[in-house]
Amino acid sequence: MRVELTEVLWFEQHVLSLSELADISGLPRAVLEELLDCGAIAPLEAVPAALPVALPVTELRFGASALRAARTAHRLRVDFELDIQALAVALSLVARVEELEAQLRELRARQPQRVR
Amino acid sequence: MKFKDYYASLGLARGASDDAIKKAYRRLARKYHPDVSKEAGAEEKFKEVAEAYQTLKDPEKRAAYDQLGSHPAGQEFNPPPDWQQQYSDAPFSADELDLSDLFAHLRGGGATRGARRSMPGQDYEIAAAISIEDAFHGTQIDLDLNMPEYDERGQLRRVPRAFKARIPKGATDGQRLRLPGKGGKGMNGGRDGDLYLNISLRPHPLYRAAGHDLYLDLPLAPWEAVLGTAIEVPTPAGAVRLKVPAGTQAGRQLRLPQRGLPKPKEGHGDLYAVVQIVVPSVTTDSQREAYQKLSDLSGFDPRPHFAAEAGHAR
Repeated sequence: MRVELTEVLWFEQHVLSLSELADISGLPRAVLEELLDCGAIAPLEAVPAALPVALPVTELRFGASALRAARTAHRLRVDFELDIQALAVALSLVARVEELEAQLRELRARQPQRVR
Repeated sequence: MKFKDYYASLGLARGASDDAIKKAYRRLARKYHPDVSKEAGAEEKFKEVAEAYQTLKDPEKRAAYDQLGSHPAGQEFNPPPDWQQQYSDAPFSADELDLSDLFAHLRGGGATRGARRSMPGQDYEIAAAISIEDAFHGTQIDLDLNMPEYDERGQLRRVPRAFKARIPKGATDGQRLRLPGKGGKGMNGGRDGDLYLNISLRPHPLYRAAGHDLYLDLPLAPWEAVLGTAIEVPTPAGAVRLKVPAGTQAGRQLRLPQRGLPKPKEGHGDLYAVVQIVVPSVTTDSQREAYQKLSDLSGFDPRPHFAAEAGHAR
């Protein structure tokens, strides 16, 4: 059996268009656009905030957090048969749990362990 | 191939109604879904439940499954030849397949032979636990996977695939990596699936990681904390000399900039030495005398706030 050495990509290395994000996450594009509309998935902040006209969705770019969220959304949608509203709520709860877990990790790391 | 009892996986008897199947699945999915559950072994349990539901929720797949008859779970069996003719899209070799492969590639919805839909390959997610040293220097991990594929004769079989993934330095707890195209093969022109690695850091005897920062306990003797000292402190890149200022309190974090874990693009996190004051056990009379002398000399009150609080209460 051939053993090949594979290069890997950090999630942080991804800068994706909407259709690439749909492809990779497995979410249908229409669902992705709805999640975008309700703010459950957000594009990278490269877009100047004070732009007079909103950018067309084809020009939006997505990074690591959108990729994470879109993959979670795909799993939840398929496995729980969720509609968009339920999906958006579940996504914000999952994100909140991840944030709290990261905070907990940090607090635990700060806590002295070795008391003799 | 090994028989799996899909009804038992859902806690149901054969002949359960469609509604009962759906309800059982929903209950178990909520309990074991890896995005929701933190129970040990939840992911494996969910896979089993989801596989059973994928087959039993589809009337044609369920009929095909029921036709296989009832065998004890885990028993080796072969689908009868006429079953293969009736249901399967492609020839397969039962020895090399998992029961789930059979149903994933089952001809459904009355599709005619040959008119195959393009299907993207499956994504796989794998948890990879690495050491803090591996995260610091970068590492390679060996991956051994077994994926269903069509071979050159169009036969469906499980193909063992082994490869090494290079994890560049910059990993930390909770970070994710994507290996494009390393998941299941796409069928009939569908794109290949991806492989995802979820990184976690194994506990280390010295360091605790938070993001790319590292924390290290720094025990000090009382006189070291009072008088100040310089200490050789271990870091992943090698020991460095740390100056402990006089009057250092317990709980104080002494920061060693850029001595933490490397970040994926550039720079490093910081290393924090968390001060603890450790008291020796007094073993000799002369030591006890020295402490007694210090106690008599010192007018130090470690708890002035107690008295202040008692004053308020009065």
